[in-house]
Amino acid sequence: MRNDGTVTLTVPAKAEFVDIIRLTLYGIAAKMKFSFEEIEDMKVAVSEACNNAVLHAYDHSQPGQIEVSFTIMNEDRLQIAVSDSGVSFEQVTDRTTSTLHGKSIDEIQSGGLGLYLMQALMDEVEIRSNQGTSVILTKRRLAQETV
Amino acid sequence: MQSEKLTFQTENLDGLTVVRIAGELDLEVASQMRSVMEPLMELSDRKLVLNLRDLKYIDSTGIGILISIVKARHARNAPFGVEEVPSTIQKLFDMTGITPFLAASPNA
Repeated sequence: MRNDGTVTLTVPAKAEFVDIIRLTLYGIAAKMKFSFEEIEDMKVAVSEACNNAVLHAYDHSQPGQIEVSFTIMNEDRLQIAVSDSGVSFEQVTDRTTSTLHGKSIDEIQSGGLGLYLMQALMDEVEIRSNQGTSVILTKRRLAQETV
Repeated sequence: MQSEKLTFQTENLDGLTVVRIAGELDLEVASQMRSVMEPLMELSDRKLVLNLRDLKYIDSTGIGILISIVKARHARNAPFGVEEVPSTIQKLFDMTGITPFLAASPNA
């Protein structure tokens, strides 16, 4: 697959920087001509990956960084890698996905929704844990009518 | 960094409290949302409705807060619902399965 360019952004692993990532994602995805709906999907998925890093990667007394790389592939595919160098995802986060479908009020809870949304909204989700965690999200732009 | 990322406007009508939420509901403003909603969740004799017309963005953190409101209202046998949900947000409600829990009882 051809790499048509990578944009990398490093931000502190703090909640108030996650919207900066969303703004950057919006700029890149709009330039690639993703639809409004596809961009909204990616905004949620990428934010969920960032939230995981903010909440689980680092000790609160020593917050680290989140690195987000946006790689444009074959002009119509955007791969977004959200990486931290903290405690690995599988050690601190339940990797099961879960929704509220078919559950009663007493059973519903928010655990598992973030990972579920990433998988439901993107074409591919890969989680690599080594020195820290990388969540690699890929979305392909649907073919559009040429003008 | 303090921004007007999420704003609330509360309107008290006859037996009904409507909270208009505008902006982006994400991890950064989750504690702000919880502190605004907590006293309102206690009011069991009033119907509570969140108007989401000007909500631009929600993630699993925001949906988690809605789940906690659903549970708190249910425990008090008090009605709760949302109205004017934008289509991008409705899609996330449908995907996660929270939609059936957000319909306010009509006669309450």
